[in-house]
Amino acid sequence: MATDNANADGFGEVSRVRGILFEYLSLGASVAGLVALGVLLVYVAIDAFDLASASPGWLLTYFLTLVIPFLAFCLYSADDSAVTRRVLVVLAGGLVAVAVIFTAIEAFVVTIPRLSWQLTYLFVVVAPATAYLAYVGSHGRVGAVGFGLLGRLVGGTAIGLAVGTLFLVFDELVWFLAYTLGVLPAAALYAYGRRRDAGRAVTAAIPVGLVGLVAAVFLRGVVRTYPSDLIIYLWTLAVPIAAVGALVVDARGSRTAAVAAGGVPLALAIAGGFLAGNVGLPGPTTLIVIALTGVPTAIYVHRVVDVGDGTVGLGLPLLLAAGVIVGALVVEAWGVPAPDPWLDVSYVTEAPSRNATEAGLYPAIVGSVIIIALVAVLSFVLGVGTSVFLEEYMPETGVLGSLTRLLQINIANLAAIPSVVYGLLGLGLFANLLGFGYGTAVTASLTLSLLILPITIISAQEAIRSVPDDLRRGSDAMGATRWQTTKNVVLPEALPGILTGTILALGRAIGETAPLIMIGAATTVFSAPSSLFSRFSAMPMQIYAWAGFPQAEFRYGVVAAGVITLLIILIGMNGTAILLRNRAERGS
Amino acid sequence: MAPSQNLEAEGITRRRSLAALAGAGALALAGCTQSSGGGGSDGGSGDDGSGDDGSGDDGSGDGGDSLSGSINIAGSSTVFPLMSAVMEDFAEEHPGIDPTISSTGSGGGFSNYFCVGETDFNNASRPIQPEEEQLCADNGVEYIELVAATDALTVVVNPEADWIDSLTIEELATIWESDAVETWDEVRDEFPNEEIERYGAADTSGTYDYFIEAVLGERGHTSDYQATEQDNNIATGVAGSEYAIGYFGFAYYFQNPDQLKALGIDSGDGPVEPSLETASSGEYTPLSRPLFTYPSIESLGNEHVAEFARYFVEQTTNEDLVAGDVGYVPATEETQEEQMQKLEDAIEQAQG
Repeated sequence: MATDNANADGFGEVSRVRGILFEYLSLGASVAGLVALGVLLVYVAIDAFDLASASPGWLLTYFLTLVIPFLAFCLYSADDSAVTRRVLVVLAGGLVAVAVIFTAIEAFVVTIPRLSWQLTYLFVVVAPATAYLAYVGSHGRVGAVGFGLLGRLVGGTAIGLAVGTLFLVFDELVWFLAYTLGVLPAAALYAYGRRRDAGRAVTAAIPVGLVGLVAAVFLRGVVRTYPSDLIIYLWTLAVPIAAVGALVVDARGSRTAAVAAGGVPLALAIAGGFLAGNVGLPGPTTLIVIALTGVPTAIYVHRVVDVGDGTVGLGLPLLLAAGVIVGALVVEAWGVPAPDPWLDVSYVTEAPSRNATEAGLYPAIVGSVIIIALVAVLSFVLGVGTSVFLEEYMPETGVLGSLTRLLQINIANLAAIPSVVYGLLGLGLFANLLGFGYGTAVTASLTLSLLILPITIISAQEAIRSVPDDLRRGSDAMGATRWQTTKNVVLPEALPGILTGTILALGRAIGETAPLIMIGAATTVFSAPSSLFSRFSAMPMQIYAWAGFPQAEFRYGVVAAGVITLLIILIGMNGTAILLRNRAERGS
Repeated sequence: MAPSQNLEAEGITRRRSLAALAGAGALALAGCTQSSGGGGSDGGSGDDGSGDDGSGDDGSGDGGDSLSGSINIAGSSTVFPLMSAVMEDFAEEHPGIDPTISSTGSGGGFSNYFCVGETDFNNASRPIQPEEEQLCADNGVEYIELVAATDALTVVVNPEADWIDSLTIEELATIWESDAVETWDEVRDEFPNEEIERYGAADTSGTYDYFIEAVLGERGHTSDYQATEQDNNIATGVAGSEYAIGYFGFAYYFQNPDQLKALGIDSGDGPVEPSLETASSGEYTPLSRPLFTYPSIESLGNEHVAEFARYFVEQTTNEDLVAGDVGYVPATEETQEEQMQKLEDAIEQAQG
């Protein structure tokens, strides 16, 4: 006490300049990177959607029919007059400020290429305001319901498309046999055992399933006649999904609702699947998409109606759809010149072409999706396995402890090795030595799995390490074995962290080009790969090739559309993983 | 009596309806079945895929003459746009084939893929070199050389450089030889006293090899330049400075004539500007060069590869495609006939 008082004279004035300076420097550092990236993305988006040639009238039309209703919906959901006032001030003030500043810069300093003040207003003011409002609105019940429904529609479509894409490569006939002989009996046994409390049935489920799988692979070589693809998907995917949906709804009450929740999407899916061929869509994929979108939507709608709170939010998809339709009608009726985006339906469904307007990315998209799906499975299994072993089973002391540390150091170093080196490894090991072939999907996904494995392992280890030891000891004290502790305590606790690491690593894998060049992946293919051992192309390869084309339309428009497609698929993938992670977090 | 009759009637109805349902189901299933060419065919890539391909609008309709199988092509990035354009049309006509094209550079394609038997064709912007011939021979890969088109190597400067319109071969050599001059006034006295900025092809490129062969010879290529495989980078570099010079294939200049200024080349008879006409007439010497593709004779034994090779040679005279879409000089009828003869002989050798 005495010493404190003695020092009291020393506390005169301390300069705060350095602290303030440091604070603003850190702010500048964090903003600089984001702004640079933001500007890049804005320009890429402008090129991909041809917004530079969008007339102010076109922008205004969609602003009025699509953006304003959406903002109003969010404001209604937020139900907070302070937020409403703030947003209105920002939108109105931003309009004036952007117009004045933009015109001033154009007049006095330098002309800004490919941007008008209307576009700048959209990107600088409206986009952040919309994001903020969507965030605020999603906290209200109405908004949560609206976004929940929208999410199920979009997510179901995305997953349906991904599943449809995977079946381009995987043999659906094997899947048909495996499902009928293995998965279905095993699931039935399990369900029966659970319901009737018959432990033996539950135990038998896994062996029965395995026997069924082996039998399926064997029978595939013998059986010659199969149901058509549509029937296979109906039987193996749509019916079970609908059944699960009906069961979920049934558990909450009304039987009629359960039948409706399962039956209506199923009927729609069947109708869609059979009619799709007439309008030139692939029937099986349509069936899967409708089933995967319809059933979760039906369950969600039933739940919301059942709870009876915020049912207005269910109108959000209708509101947006109406906005798009009204906008299109207005544009058509008044003859407003509309932009001609590079990124349109034909871009994602057509093969590459020498004409920029006809060029498409479809084979490369399929290639990338298949590789990433394989990489996700491989790296997750290998990464989690390695990290659990290193963290839970290897001792920390003694000879084995030193070995663990050596392994640790090596894994950390592997993360820093350039991707070209992994490409060489893939070329030597998988393509040449093991004979998986040059540039096949198998070779590529094995190579990319190795490439991101160190990152996956390190982040999974961190996640496992952050599980408090008290939990493990508690489990031990209850008499659990190490396997039971790992399965029931450590992994569920660590799962969100492990998923975060895997998501980041997959983001790196989908954009890699150098290893693909090394293993001989094709630059251009004209049809989607038909098996895991056929040669394929990936999005970065095709985008890079287009960037070297002599025609300016390729180098700007088509490449920009490719970049946006790549980003959308990446975001879709990460979104799915983040949803899974959040669910896991909530569960634990 | 009435109740039993009723029961009977009901029973019949149920049985009938069941039978009807079963019949309908069997019919529906029969209508919805597919047969597959036996299992265990993991290796055959086309086998499983061809039956259930989404592109089955003409599915089994052209089953009689439809070609199937994969065609793997690698090699020069200069020939890549031409090969992709031809393949695009061929793949559209024959949906059963599964082509892949990689842009690896002429040398990379020969040594990594073609001469080890991994690809069916290798594109090249220069003839095959002795080491590559040796490698192919070691691995038992036989091939023939087909002329794909003619390219006019184009020397470009900045469009604002109004002090220069043409260069002689000798002047060009003094700029690019290994002991190259530093400033423009050393090339020609009336040029400004400014440093030369050079942008050219990387040494893995066939364009680099050809430039040395045609212009520099024994004098070697300077290493004091920005080397790249991408024509864009050369164009951007040259467009960025008034005192820059670069060279690349004709296609880029043909598609972007306003971005850069092409120099006339004077090989003794006055300056000649690069164009489709001057290159095909042979006036634009020595910088017009043939582009090649090398099919492997073993691959030509497969009908679909042979058919594509014939189609490719047919297309080499297609002016819309070769000149209009890609920007190279189409082959003459005479060359085409010659190439076709060579090809037919090779196909006969492979299939006979």
